Amino acid sequence: MIAALARPGSSPLHRTAAARKLAALAAIATLLFFVDAPAPLGFAFAAGLAAARSTGVRFAEIGSDLKGPAAVLAVLGLADWWLVDAATAVSVVLRLGAIALFAHAVTVTTSTAELTAVLERLFVPAERLGLLDAARAALTVTLAIRFVPLIVEEAREIRQAQAARGLDGSITALAVPLMVRVIVRAEALADAIDARGFPPERAVVAPSRSPEIRPDREVPTP
Amino acid sequence: MSDTSPERAGGATGADPSALAQTIVFSGVSVVRDGRTALDRVSIGFEEARVGIVGLNGSGKSTLLKCIIGLVAPSAGTVAVDGRDALREARAIRRTTGLLFQDPDNQIVMPTVDEDLAFGLKNHGFSKAETAERVAGALVRLGIAPLARRRIHELSGGEKQLVALAGVLAISPRTVLFDEPTAHLDLKNRNRLRDVLHALPEQAIVVSHDLELLADFPRVVMIEAGRIVRDGAAADVLAHYREANR
Repeated sequence: MIAALARPGSSPLHRTAAARKLAALAAIATLLFFVDAPAPLGFAFAAGLAAARSTGVRFAEIGSDLKGPAAVLAVLGLADWWLVDAATAVSVVLRLGAIALFAHAVTVTTSTAELTAVLERLFVPAERLGLLDAARAALTVTLAIRFVPLIVEEAREIRQAQAARGLDGSITALAVPLMVRVIVRAEALADAIDARGFPPERAVVAPSRSPEIRPDREVPTP
Repeated sequence: MSDTSPERAGGATGADPSALAQTIVFSGVSVVRDGRTALDRVSIGFEEARVGIVGLNGSGKSTLLKCIIGLVAPSAGTVAVDGRDALREARAIRRTTGLLFQDPDNQIVMPTVDEDLAFGLKNHGFSKAETAERVAGALVRLGIAPLARRRIHELSGGEKQLVALAGVLAISPRTVLFDEPTAHLDLKNRNRLRDVLHALPEQAIVVSHDLELLADFPRVVMIEAGRIVRDGAAADVLAHYREANR
C-alpha cells in the first residue's frame, strides 16, 4: 500500500475531504468484521474494486500496488482452508480484500500532507491528556511512509554487498548493517527536521510576506 | 494566475548577495562530543557573500555549520548570527538561514516533492495560499517544476539534491549553508548544482571537498583538527590545502 501514495486526479474521491474518507474507511472496516456471509462480503469486495477503479487508477496498477497484501491474503486464505474450511477462507479473503481495496482508494486520493493533518487533529485529545505530542506523532507516521522505500532499497544494497562476499542468506549479515544505517540516518534526519523549523509554530497567525522573527520559547541548555 | 516570481517565492534573484549577507560570528567556540574535540576555540566571522570551507573528514567542518543554526551546542564560546545568539534564538535564525545536508535523503521528510517543500513553510507558519505560491516559485526557480507531484524515491540523486535545495530556498533565507553539496552527485549534476550555487543571490557558506567548486570564491577557510589554520583568498588557501595533503 505504501507504494500507492497519492496520485493526482479529479475523481469524486479526490474531491472528498480526507477526514471523511478516513472515517468512512474505518466504519466500513469495522462493519465488515461483523459480517460472515460470503454474499455480502462478495458485494463489499466488488464495491471496493469499484471504489478503487473510480479514482482513475487502472486495474493493472491496482493489482501491482496490492501485490504484497494479495500475497499475504493468499497465505491466510490457504491457512484458513487447511485449518478451518473453504467457506471461512473465502470470507476472510473477501473481507480483507475489500478493506485493502477501499484503503487503496483512500490512499491514492489523499496526499500525505492531508493524512498528516487529519492524524494531527485526531491526536490532539491525547496531547491534551499529556500522552503524546500530536505534531510529532503525526510526523512519525509520515516518516514511516517516506522511509519504507528507502530502507527497502538499503536492505537490497546490503544484501547484494553481502552476497558478493559469499554471505547471502545470513539474516545477521543483513540485519546488523541495516540497523546501523537506519540509526545513523535517523540521527541525521532529526537534525534536518530541526533545521527546517519543526515543530510548527501553532500560535502564529498566518504571517505576512516577511514573517516576524520571534525568539524561541525555550532556551536550550548549552 | 498566481505570481510565482522568485522575488515572491523563495528568494530574490537579481539581488546583490552581499546585501543579503548576514554577519556570523564565532567567539571562542569549542565543541567536545564523546570526549572528542570537534571544534577547538574557534573565533572567526563571516560576512562575505561566498565563503568556502575545506578540511579533511572529521576536521569539524560540518560541526561549524551546525553551530550556526543551533543544531550543535558549543561546549564553550558563542555563535551569533546578525547579533542573535544561535542557541537562544535558533528558531529565528533557522528562518533566515537554511542548511543543505550532504545526503538529500536525510533532509527530505515528505514522500512527494511538493509536500516536502511545503513542510518547512508550514513549520515557519506560512498560510496555505502563500505556501502553494512559494512551493511553485522555488520549483520554477531551480527548473524542476515538472517534478512537483513526483514521489521522492523515484528521483535521481541530482534531482533529490535540487528538491532539498528548493525546500531551503522556499523560505527565502538570507544565508544558505551547504554541507558537501556535490558529494553524492555525478559530473552532470555536479555541474548543474555548481551553476545554481554561483547564481544564488543568497549568501552561501559552502563546506566541500570539491575544490573546483570553491575556486572562484572570494574567501576560503581551512580547518584542521577543529582549528582554523588558514583563511584567505581561494587561490592561496586551496593551494596550501592541496600541498598539505599530498
